[in-house]
Amino acid sequence: MGLSVSSLFGSLTSLLRWSKDQDVRILMLGLDSAGKTTILYRLQIGEVVSTIPTIGFNVETVQYKNIKFQVWDLGGQSSIRPYWRCYFPNTSAIIYVIDASDHARLTTSRTELLTMLSEDELKGVPLLVFANKQDVDGAAKPEDVSDQLGLAGAEKSRPWSVRGSCATKGEGLEEGLDWLVNAIQNK
Amino acid sequence: MYHLLKGFHEYVTRKEEFSVIIIGLDGAGKTTLLERIKTLYNDTPGLSPDKIGPTVGQNTGKIALPSTILQFFDLGGQRGIRNIWPKYYDDCHAVVYVIDAEDRERLGEGWEVFDTVLSAPQILGLPLLLLANKQDSSNSLSVEEIRNDYEDWYQRKIESARRDRQDDGDAARRERIASLDVMGVSAIEGTGVRSAIDWLFLRVQNSRRDHSS
Repeated sequence: MGLSVSSLFGSLTSLLRWSKDQDVRILMLGLDSAGKTTILYRLQIGEVVSTIPTIGFNVETVQYKNIKFQVWDLGGQSSIRPYWRCYFPNTSAIIYVIDASDHARLTTSRTELLTMLSEDELKGVPLLVFANKQDVDGAAKPEDVSDQLGLAGAEKSRPWSVRGSCATKGEGLEEGLDWLVNAIQNK
Repeated sequence: MYHLLKGFHEYVTRKEEFSVIIIGLDGAGKTTLLERIKTLYNDTPGLSPDKIGPTVGQNTGKIALPSTILQFFDLGGQRGIRNIWPKYYDDCHAVVYVIDAEDRERLGEGWEVFDTVLSAPQILGLPLLLLANKQDSSNSLSVEEIRNDYEDWYQRKIESARRDRQDDGDAARRERIASLDVMGVSAIEGTGVRSAIDWLFLRVQNSRRDHSS
């Protein structure tokens, strides 16, 4: 008896979770000029659009394999980074974009990321890091970026992955998204 | 009604949770194994093998067994990122080391890395399972061959250490190797995966009892 009711309870909660899945909110964050907006439009319309620095945000619905994502691409300039937190509630996943060719600001990028991940509202939320601009000579490889971010061991509650990407060529984006979809569904 | 639900919620969440790390060389099939485990035990299927690339980071998976939850951490195995493994040693309850039984060229490297894992003091007392993956391939070494290959490798290592006049008197480690459990799996086809999970299920329970007594 106890077992059957508990399994009923389990299926009820999974039903609830399923209905929530209909509206999957993904935040795309990172320093300015990392390539967030380019990635967003590459995912949405499959083209490279010319972008200007985002002040405020771009929000687009991206349809990917039966799942509709609401992707919020937030401006990355230092003056507007404090507003990122307004978007944290109800977030299903984070895509964090890093300009892998910008070695000088990797530490800044790391600090912003770690500050963000320490927020309670983002606890356990899957994290996909794009080490973007892999087409640039001397761009840091995903392994190096992962090493410098120091997520290993510190972020056990969430799945996370660092992947190389080149937004202008569209490389690495789909693979990354496949991983993210799986991480969201299996949470 | 609330108390009823709350009671059942507590009943459901009373399960004990154990962490299991899945490690091994890159390309051994760790992520494929984890995704297979998810597909076998959970309602939502895991990622299909053709979608899986090299892992840089951590994949997680949770499965619920009777009175127990196993939480898996699949860690990247490329040379440059193996240094993250020890950060997980302190909090894990069991270790799964995956070896590619088909890739004879890299067996030596696999044992080399396996040896450093065995020598980590934090996980000396923990259940450790060696999985010979890719049993679906006819080129793969069998479980028995894998075990022999490792033992040969280890003998050679001891002998060369003796020649260098290094003392290899690590009895605990030798005992561990003697009692090492090796199982064959095919992460792609799913054969052997359930037995491996059963093994983990039993061993984490037992090792917990040892700790508490």
